[in-house]
Amino acid sequence: MSVANTNIQSIGTLAQPGFGSRLAKDLRRNKYLYLMAIPVIAYYIIFHYKPMYGAVIAFKEFSPIKGILGSPWVGLKHFYDFFNDYYFDRIVTNTIVISFSSLIFGFPAPIILALLMNELKNRIFTRTVQTITYMPHFISLVVICGLIRSFTADDGIITYVFGLFGGEKVSMLNKSELFVPIYVISGIWQGVGWGSIIYLSALQSIDVQLYEAATIDGAGYLRRAWHITLPGIMPTIVIMLILRMGHLMSVGYEKIILLYNPAIYETSDVISSYVYRKGLLEFNWSYSSAVGLFNSVINFLMLTAANKISKKVNETSLW
Amino acid sequence: MIIQESVSRKVFNVLNILFMLFMSAITLYPMLYVIFASFSQPADFLMHEGLLLRPLGFTAATYRMVFKNPMILRGYMNTIFIVVAGVAINIFFTSIGAYFLSRKNVMLKRIIMFFIVFSMYFSGGLIPFYFTVKELGLDNSLWALIIPGAIGTSNMIIMRTAFMGIPDSLSESAEIDGAGHFSILFRVVIPLSLPTMAVMVLYYGVGHWNAWFNALIFLRKREMFPLQLILREILITNSTLDMSIGIDAGDQELVGDLIKYAVIVVATVPILCLYPFLQKYFVKGVMIGALKG
Amino acid sequence: MNKKYTGFISTVMAVFLAGSILAGCGKGAGETNAGGDGTAEGRPQASTAAEKTAEGKSEFSYPVKTDVTLTYWMQLNGNVSQTVKNMAETPFAQELMKKTGIKIEYQHPPLGQEKEAFSILLASQDLPDIIEYAWSSFSGGPEKAITDGAILQLNDIIDQYAPNLKAYLSSDAEADKMVKTDTGKYYVFPSIKGDDFSKTYAGPIIRKDWLDDCGLPVPETIDEWTAMLKAFKEKKNAEAPLTCYWNESFITGAFGIIGTFYIEDGKFKYGPLEPAYKDFVMLYRQWYKDGLLDKNFSTLDAKTMDANMLGGKSGATISLAGSGLGKWLNAMKEKDPKYDLVGAPYPVLKKGDRCKFGHTSLTYIGGSSAAISTSCKNVELAARLLDYGYSEEGSLLYNYGIEGTSYTLVNGKPTYTELVTNNPDKLSAAAVLAQYSRASYAGPYVQDSAYSEQTFTMPQQIDAIKIWMDTDAPLHIVPPVTPTPEESSEQAKIITAVHSTFLQEEFLKFVMGENPIESYDAFVAEMKKMGIERAIELKQAQLDRYNKR
Repeated sequence: MSVANTNIQSIGTLAQPGFGSRLAKDLRRNKYLYLMAIPVIAYYIIFHYKPMYGAVIAFKEFSPIKGILGSPWVGLKHFYDFFNDYYFDRIVTNTIVISFSSLIFGFPAPIILALLMNELKNRIFTRTVQTITYMPHFISLVVICGLIRSFTADDGIITYVFGLFGGEKVSMLNKSELFVPIYVISGIWQGVGWGSIIYLSALQSIDVQLYEAATIDGAGYLRRAWHITLPGIMPTIVIMLILRMGHLMSVGYEKIILLYNPAIYETSDVISSYVYRKGLLEFNWSYSSAVGLFNSVINFLMLTAANKISKKVNETSLW
Repeated sequence: MIIQESVSRKVFNVLNILFMLFMSAITLYPMLYVIFASFSQPADFLMHEGLLLRPLGFTAATYRMVFKNPMILRGYMNTIFIVVAGVAINIFFTSIGAYFLSRKNVMLKRIIMFFIVFSMYFSGGLIPFYFTVKELGLDNSLWALIIPGAIGTSNMIIMRTAFMGIPDSLSESAEIDGAGHFSILFRVVIPLSLPTMAVMVLYYGVGHWNAWFNALIFLRKREMFPLQLILREILITNSTLDMSIGIDAGDQELVGDLIKYAVIVVATVPILCLYPFLQKYFVKGVMIGALKG
Repeated sequence: MNKKYTGFISTVMAVFLAGSILAGCGKGAGETNAGGDGTAEGRPQASTAAEKTAEGKSEFSYPVKTDVTLTYWMQLNGNVSQTVKNMAETPFAQELMKKTGIKIEYQHPPLGQEKEAFSILLASQDLPDIIEYAWSSFSGGPEKAITDGAILQLNDIIDQYAPNLKAYLSSDAEADKMVKTDTGKYYVFPSIKGDDFSKTYAGPIIRKDWLDDCGLPVPETIDEWTAMLKAFKEKKNAEAPLTCYWNESFITGAFGIIGTFYIEDGKFKYGPLEPAYKDFVMLYRQWYKDGLLDKNFSTLDAKTMDANMLGGKSGATISLAGSGLGKWLNAMKEKDPKYDLVGAPYPVLKKGDRCKFGHTSLTYIGGSSAAISTSCKNVELAARLLDYGYSEEGSLLYNYGIEGTSYTLVNGKPTYTELVTNNPDKLSAAAVLAQYSRASYAGPYVQDSAYSEQTFTMPQQIDAIKIWMDTDAPLHIVPPVTPTPEESSEQAKIITAVHSTFLQEEFLKFVMGENPIESYDAFVAEMKKMGIERAIELKQAQLDRYNKR
């Protein structure tokens, strides 16, 4: 055995230089590059890694007077409390459902909008449309949700339109089945314009000459879109998608709270809104930190998985 | 063949325009609603429900209440400083990071990337962050709003993607010409990524414009408060008046409800003007071809 | 990643993590409070020049001769912040400093973020001398705030340096119990609501002009309410005769219960478990079916209620005297002179019964109470400053303001001046008073009814409060019991699930007809399965400890 090992090892050593020496060579060759990166790395260490120890409060019973290091350890107590909660299954399910639905419908929407805007001929019209469509992003959630509620009230305009297609004329936010669609569609309404900006910029980065060459070669509009446009913005799409996968568990409580009511808790009560209500009774830094840590771990796992898959499927990935 | 394409293309164009008009209408409405509400008479507005198609009884009283606050002008100035200085620092550091992460044949690149992304997900929370900033002596200065946020990780990742899309031949030829990395970054890579840079300016700019939380916990001198913080104060002050046991229902209280609309207009209109300004950088096709020659 | 890297990677990760922990260790030590361990009981009071006069209690008088400036952390009230940005600029604070002789440096947390600011404050080593906050709801209980070393136990301090507060506490045994911890420690100079009038703030409101039009008297019983709502629907075309939040408890009172925790004969009870709750649910269900409630019942918000009451969609609701009754009357003053509102009594089942519940607050709510921190080096001065608010002179300042400016003595009774009640700049009374006094918001003093009585601009408001006061609510309201940290976390878990979620959902489903009435018993059984009785048990233990204080 050992003989075989030695043979393989020596073959290995002959074929490739050792890790250390490669690293040294790399540092020498890219010296200035690494020097350039030092401020960036320093930034992350100072502002992100140094304070990271605070995450341990999820495993402690935090008291602001005692400070993070002085507070007593309680191990996984908060996590157990969270997992054993009567409503754990429901709130996690709702969080994932809402998040995925937003992803499936909300992710492509800005891309499609960007592609369509790109086809508009008149510059002034295009610019005006771009500027208008991103306005709702700036309106505070409180106002947006107020509008949503009034539109979906029993005498609201959306309910009316819905009624024309056979829906009941009842306040739409009273029906559990309608919550997710309302949440997702209103999310698109508010965010599609703003979200399309990054794709518009990616579209601009595609070399015009490629289009010209393709047209000369006789490619029709759809062929050009398929062979030039989409591949051109694919890296952007993929990266945005990977980043988005890393937000799976992050359904914020603000919008949920502004739209939900107990009659539809079944589909609308998510992790953040439930923890918020709990916090009204007893504000516990450690508990919220534990839930947050749970969410982060899952988010990060999703991100890593998406990254791995993306690496296999195409060249684009984070690392 | 060309004729056929024209017809279906024409139909497509018409539908596209109609679609865009529809999108514009539904996305313009919230802003219109806010503007109409901010000019409405409180009593009328209180009674009204549903769609708002015009201001109800015109009045500028709500705006007067907002501008009554002596700090508004100061707030604007502070915010403008924060946006300008902040975006400059953001772009500088983010570009450096993105450039580094986009170069090929750098051994430590991937692990550094991993750690950077990891830090996006795991944080120590408010209190350690507060102390870190304080220990650096940044608190009670506007730099507390700029330096801790110098690099937005997702922005840096987006910039990296853009930088990676620039053909190696260009940076290599610059290297051969004796250019150092900073030169390559600022003279070759960035100019070729103008649309992305424009988006970054927009993202960071809007981020700074809307930010108030760091200002809230780090700034003690009122003269330094950014606009959003002042507006937030106005909002809270007036809505607590509205919600309080508030025995005296004077005019002030009626207006309280509407203040948030005036506040949104005051806060948003300036930043909405940034995008049209940046749109000219969204120029098709850029200069890749030109440089090749 | 290549296998060759794994070793390298784990080393680097270890270095990173170790580095951050070490960095944290180094800095974190600075976070714990200087006197962080052990209790702060019986700490020697730091002495100042003024203490020399404390030997003989009768020798002390204001103003104190001292150069000391005390730091005072408190939230800046919305009314005050309209005009000044720091409390010290108000005439009230200047008068306070003048009268007591002690200079005060006020520190204010940012508006709206008090909780975060408070946590950061405690985590830093630099505690101000006096901290005004809702100490009774400090997480872990006020006892913990003392044992963790943030604030001082005040028993001896009050004995020696706060004769006015001491006198007040001796005069009101119930209040005295409220402001102590379970082990009998005083921890704050409390904010007290001194009389019943100012404790009542909300109740049923009905459109008087509609009652007159329908020829109906102000309803007193549930049956009368049903009749009235039906009349509103038929004769006034009211789409939603009664508009109120789904979890409003004012109808439950008629059935002798309330939709949450309450006290009966020294025992903690949870309304929804009681059999009478079913009767209440049935009533609401019937009302909903008959169209007497707003169809958008579950999605109602304040704005819709405003619109309903003003636009004629509703004729009855439950709201506040000021921002409900007052606001609506004010809004409709010019538009519809006939529009009138009246405060109605809480409905009962049988005529002549007395309603057991109402919207009243406790004598001691817990907020805006001042504690002396362990960093304070001039404890006696701090105590003297805070005690001033409970003295006769101080009470006038806190409640009425400055004689000649904000109040005058009319037949020996302090009365607000025109500056307050009819301000030439059209400022509300609350805003004006916030300059000269603390009448419009809570603080370390005994609030009397003057503010409410004298600043209501409409007679309907005063009448309404008098009617709303007439209930047995004080007998059933939950006193400020203090859970231990373990109790708190156990009950928070149960209550969030049962009360904040399950009950609300099922209640709405029963009312709106989604749940069949047959499933009511299963609903009660489920609540018990979820542990609600354990929560009652925990609260009972807290109540027993409270009663022994």
